[in-house]
Amino acid sequence: MEIITRQVPDKPLTVTIEYPEYTESVKGLIKRIETLDVSFSVTSEDRQMRIAQSDVYYLEIVDRKVFLYTEKDVFRLNAPMQEIQSIAEDSDLVRISRTCIMNTLHLTGIRQLKNSHLEAELDNGEKLIVSRKYLRDIKRRF
Amino acid sequence: MTIRRILRDTCILAALMILVVFSCSIIWSGVTAEISLVLSLFGLALMITLVNYLFDEFLSLSIMLSYIVKYFVFSGIVMLFGFIAGWFFPSNFWMAFIYVGVVLVLAYVIDAFKMRRDIDYINEHIKKKSVA
Repeated sequence: MEIITRQVPDKPLTVTIEYPEYTESVKGLIKRIETLDVSFSVTSEDRQMRIAQSDVYYLEIVDRKVFLYTEKDVFRLNAPMQEIQSIAEDSDLVRISRTCIMNTLHLTGIRQLKNSHLEAELDNGEKLIVSRKYLRDIKRRF
Repeated sequence: MTIRRILRDTCILAALMILVVFSCSIIWSGVTAEISLVLSLFGLALMITLVNYLFDEFLSLSIMLSYIVKYFVFSGIVMLFGFIAGWFFPSNFWMAFIYVGVVLVLAYVIDAFKMRRDIDYINEHIKKKSVA
């Protein structure tokens, strides 16, 4: 695969994919690129804004409300967890417990604690508890 | 991976063959003692699988604690089911603890090994990604 990049001023970021044949790997590549463009509508101090999926560290349900965590901030998300789960398919987002979806893009490692619970560490130093049941789903993302 | 898939498919096929053969036998000769035993085993397996699923879905315990809790719960289910199905007598009901114990020890060893392997795989890929 050849990767060509060029700067085109005053135009939005454009990805062109050229392929000899439309195969499953091409389809997968397109899907992955599409997910990079996904953003979430969040509420912060009564104003709406959008957060790109790549900036999301993890999402968590607390008291039936969905919260979105970025490197330093927390936002209330305006979408049910089921909808996020469907967006998360074929993306870097993966469910790690019943109440938490993590972005593997920011994952720096997984380790087993002394009490044999699993812990994921993110690149902002945050640590999340991983349910063993979802370990295989995380593995599939790599 | 291939061996595991072959073993899994063999078990599924065997279960299907048993179900089909026994279903045909029920039509011709009714529910015999053997058929009743096999159907009971399928019922027990379904119950244990369902409880196991609910455990994994709703409880977040450590691997060791989860297997200890499952040991007592599954032993209880097997004992209760065994008494209803007439498998155990009051003198040998403790055998349920041995049967369940053997199965769970094997499951624990496999589970712990697979978990370690999955963690190593993920960390290895993260390391590669960060080097690239």
